[in-house]
Amino acid sequence: MRILIALKMAIHDRSTTTGALIGVIVIVFLVGQQLSVFFGLLNLTSVLPDHSNAEVWVMSKNIRNADSGNLVSGSYIDRIIGIKGVEWVEPVLIGSGVFKRDDGSFEPVRLIGLRRPSLHGGPWNFYQRGEQVLLDLESVVIDRLDLSKLGHPLLDEVREIGGKRVKVAGIAEGARGFQGTLVFATLEKVKEISKTPAGRYSAILVKLSNEADKNKIIGNMKEILPNCSVFSSQELSNLTRKYYITNTGIGGSFFFSTSIAILTGVVIVTLTMYTSVLSRARDFAVIRAIGGRKRDIMIIVISEVFFITAIGIFIGFMLLSTLFNYTVKSEIPSYFPAYIAPLLAFVTIFVSFLGSLAAIRVALKADPAQVFH
Amino acid sequence: MSVIKVENTAKDFYDGKQIRRVLFPVSIEFTPGELVVISGPSGSGKTTLLSIIGLVLKPSEGKIYFDNIDVTNISDDTAANFRLKYYGFVFQQPMLIEGLTVLDNVLLSFGAQGGRPSEKVKKTAIEILDKLGLSNTINMQPLSLSGGMKQRVSIARAFVKDPIILLCDEPTASLDAENGIIVMKILKKSAIDNKRIVIVVSHDVRVLPFADRLIKIENGMIVSDTRENYK
Repeated sequence: MRILIALKMAIHDRSTTTGALIGVIVIVFLVGQQLSVFFGLLNLTSVLPDHSNAEVWVMSKNIRNADSGNLVSGSYIDRIIGIKGVEWVEPVLIGSGVFKRDDGSFEPVRLIGLRRPSLHGGPWNFYQRGEQVLLDLESVVIDRLDLSKLGHPLLDEVREIGGKRVKVAGIAEGARGFQGTLVFATLEKVKEISKTPAGRYSAILVKLSNEADKNKIIGNMKEILPNCSVFSSQELSNLTRKYYITNTGIGGSFFFSTSIAILTGVVIVTLTMYTSVLSRARDFAVIRAIGGRKRDIMIIVISEVFFITAIGIFIGFMLLSTLFNYTVKSEIPSYFPAYIAPLLAFVTIFVSFLGSLAAIRVALKADPAQVFH
Repeated sequence: MSVIKVENTAKDFYDGKQIRRVLFPVSIEFTPGELVVISGPSGSGKTTLLSIIGLVLKPSEGKIYFDNIDVTNISDDTAANFRLKYYGFVFQQPMLIEGLTVLDNVLLSFGAQGGRPSEKVKKTAIEILDKLGLSNTINMQPLSLSGGMKQRVSIARAFVKDPIILLCDEPTASLDAENGIIVMKILKKSAIDNKRIVIVVSHDVRVLPFADRLIKIENGMIVSDTRENYK
């Protein structure tokens, strides 16, 4: 009955309910949107280790992220392939160059060189054509969302990277990097453009067999490759993400904007709930006078807050999903992990109650003697 | 047999600068079946006395007994339980809760502590509303009722619990002459038919003809306590 009373009060007090609802929606929508951009950007930072299909990455000693590091010797490939449980070993060469646009201007790009014919570490999802196009020495694959940056090259159109001839042979989907536009090419082409010495690579990717003991093999590899960094793909991904969170503005910017979103929501919820309870102090005094206890008043106010918060969360998530539907294939990096939804709902409920503390305090002060004046 | 008794009860208020005595020690007993009018000018202490009797205000001195049980220093929750079980209140303003229907308002006390009114209680509530001429307002919002109707709804809210004590604070103050008389007739009938203690605080002379007992208060002191025909 107390919950029903709260529900009817909330429905009756439309302006306050709407105000508090807006506060909750602001929290869910703005924080959710910030989170999605944050995770979207993080995904870009670790895009290569996350999608390499390899379990282990071997890179030069003391690296701080997947994008930095010296070249390692290709002779390590032979040492690794001899380890029991290793299914394949493939080198990857990461270089840089400038892509010549159709208007004659240049766009810096990050080149990912893959060894033919396996092409491991290459694009994992294609918008047009497939990975077999990279079997051709001249071919490069760029991402759909980078087309405009690169001057809208057409399929099979010949362009230049670092003054070397390349052919845009395929369009990938979702293969975008944080440090720059990714262009996938053959090892030979990247070596030619970046002028890297023969037999040296940026990373060696290792795929283990299903029954292999990953930790044991990584331990073995660390022993036989003392001058290298050996990471599982997940470790390298985490290291890279951590590096960019702490060494770029992503972490700080996300923390600041999220805090502002939460604060704005809390202020709206606080003010509206406080005003609402203040205007209904007489009602609470009546309930107290006719036999309601302080805890009953608290239950009524909390039920009202919960009711408003639940609806606010629902509307907030509806708006978020609409936003994600529109941005999922856009240039805005956006990714919302499933486990974040309940966390965001929990945080929203928590801050809504935090914002309602002042209102609850006022409601509890309702004096039954007040009804006799 | 007296159900409620105040004994040497006084009340002081602190106004921020000094302690002011608004009710000097009074001793009164109330017995069921009579309508008691506590009368006096504004600020005389009659509402304070009513608040103490209603267990919403603690006295600064003296004792309150409910059915020979000392209830002077009971906790807030116990006082709330007493009010819920034994008291009915009619306030100067009807004090109905907007957003709840007339029937919801009448049944409010049954939900105040989280319970749900039974079908029998709902039936009783509807019967009381019917007797008070409000049968067609059951699902209406208080906002759409006249002042007299609202006050009758607040009386129904007090009656539905079948309380032993009915405390009414200026129940006719916001009503016109006709509605004031209707309300007083209902209260009088309730005292006689249901053997209730009905205490009406008022300085409205229209209520006097309905009084079985008249207690006059001035400057926080009882100046007279009489039982006679005031018609």
